[in-house]
Amino acid sequence: MTMAAARLLTLADGLSALVTWVGRAAAWLAIPMMLVILADVVLRRYFVIGSVKLQELEWHLHGALFLLCLGYAYARDAHVRIELVHERFPPALKAWVELVGCAAFLLPYCGAILYFGVDYAWLAFERAEVSASQTGLGARWMIKSLLVVGFALLAAAALSRLIKAAVYLFGPDAARPRTGFETMTPTQPESGLHMAAKD
Amino acid sequence: MLIEYLPLFMFAALAVLLFSGYPVAFVLGGVGLGFWLLAVGLGLENDRSFFLVVGRIYGGVVSNLVLVAIPMFIFMGTMLERSGIARDLLHCLQVLTRRMPGGLALSVTLLGVIMAATTGIIGASVVMMTLLALPVMVDRGYDKPLATGTIAASGTLGILIPPSIMLVVMADLLSISAGTLFLAAVVPGLLLSALYLLYLGTRTALNPALAPPMAVHEAPEGVVAMVRMLLGGVLPPLALIAVVLGSIFGGVATPTEASGIGAVGATVLAALKGKLSLATLRDVAERSALTGAMLFGLFVGATAFSYVFTLLGGHELIVAGVDAVGAGAWGVLIVLMITVFLLGFFFDWIEITLIVLPVFAPLIQQLDFAGHVPYPQLTVAWFAILVAVNLQTSFLTPPFGFALFYMKGVAPAGVRIQHIYRGIVPFVLLQILGLAAVMAWPQIALWLPAKYGG
Repeated sequence: MTMAAARLLTLADGLSALVTWVGRAAAWLAIPMMLVILADVVLRRYFVIGSVKLQELEWHLHGALFLLCLGYAYARDAHVRIELVHERFPPALKAWVELVGCAAFLLPYCGAILYFGVDYAWLAFERAEVSASQTGLGARWMIKSLLVVGFALLAAAALSRLIKAAVYLFGPDAARPRTGFETMTPTQPESGLHMAAKD
Repeated sequence: MLIEYLPLFMFAALAVLLFSGYPVAFVLGGVGLGFWLLAVGLGLENDRSFFLVVGRIYGGVVSNLVLVAIPMFIFMGTMLERSGIARDLLHCLQVLTRRMPGGLALSVTLLGVIMAATTGIIGASVVMMTLLALPVMVDRGYDKPLATGTIAASGTLGILIPPSIMLVVMADLLSISAGTLFLAAVVPGLLLSALYLLYLGTRTALNPALAPPMAVHEAPEGVVAMVRMLLGGVLPPLALIAVVLGSIFGGVATPTEASGIGAVGATVLAALKGKLSLATLRDVAERSALTGAMLFGLFVGATAFSYVFTLLGGHELIVAGVDAVGAGAWGVLIVLMITVFLLGFFFDWIEITLIVLPVFAPLIQQLDFAGHVPYPQLTVAWFAILVAVNLQTSFLTPPFGFALFYMKGVAPAGVRIQHIYRGIVPFVLLQILGLAAVMAWPQIALWLPAKYGG
């Protein structure tokens, strides 16, 4: 394996590890989310204290949860694909699909959302935007910044996949196993497959 | 002029590119961005208008309290699956129905209904059911077409019956209440399940060899053991589902609130069974997060796509096209039904609803079925249920039934695609019967929401 290929793969693995770490941490947000809903329901029904703050907190948590996991889901190949033809592709063609897909679709798409998203979050910060409801949460720039962070993580996952595809296609043969393309299998219905392995 | 037809090219590009196998969410976003750039290049659009897409993503997907129900329902379903509650439930149902011929098939149908929320998508739902039940059925000597047909149909049905993630998404896209749609789906969903159960019961009663009953020694002995099994295995999950749905239908809770309670409830059930370790909790949280990110990634991509589609005049093109044909309300309905049906060969419900419904939503809201639909304010809900029932057939219809491919992928050796094709035919016929009934008598869907809903 040449040095360059090895370095690139180390970078790709590092990016992938970063988005995975953030995603796995963010996954825990589901737990405060259900507790907040529970608290909201109990307060509303039994103490007749409806809270706009709690309801806004619910969608803040939902937004944070899915935005921070977008990249994680790509690193784990959990985004749904049309497998009809794809599953019969040889590994090299699959690598080409990922290479072109990242370069022509995902990275420009992330780029555009980031470019305009930074403005969007900055505007909220500058104007000190708060909830339209008087009793709502403040600091809208925080959740709006998470949109930027989420897409930045998705872009990092895309870059990682792009590097791996490029190394697989153009790098030395010895580097190929590390890219994962030789064993790339559809993992979409993952929950089921894992269950079979475990039982 | 060629420029007027840009939206059509956009659709064509999407259709072709999706078959590359690159994730749908990213193809949607990429095609949206590409055509926006094209429009800017042609001087049709100013070079800042993509900013509004970001606003749409924030306003429509992030700060949307209705959509909070989706991660919570996923969490609830995943918790029931991973903690083994679902498997115990299947086992209990098997024991309960063991004297009936076809008992296992009946149990699978019931389980499919309960478990659909776990995965959120039909592909994964059918895979899970296939892995869970097909090997058992084959071992027991079930007729292979019967076994596969049952699983594919039940796995697909679950997505229609509340609490259904699909109905939450449809309600959001069509700007109607999710509670109303839940209510509207109850009778059509039960109608289909009843038809399946009736068919399975009759068929296996006439020919018991198709579905041999359970061996006696597998069942618990004595009344006490039986009651204990019922209390432990069947009642808790059914009670949870009843509480979740009851609180929505009773008007006590919104679907979002009910979903949160369902998630807490499933976690408590797992804890009571002693199955709630930190590792399980982490596993459930991570799986749910991945499924949720997949769904909302698609949501965000579809937002970008449909926004640019509208910007390019896609809606006007469709409305003008429909006007030119002069098809009227029934014409539009039938064209849409055929479109959805054909798309179902290749795509899961999520792509179909997210891409097709926003495009047709303005048209749908204007449709006039006065005289046929008894409650004019519920016409859109009726329409949504028709799409939902229609999707059931399209996933099962050979040669390109979407659910069938997934099933073949994980079926045990010895189950051939021909078995699957033969197995689903009766179910497709029953579904068409159901669809025709809901079309002819809108009351089937609308009676409940008109009586109890807003």
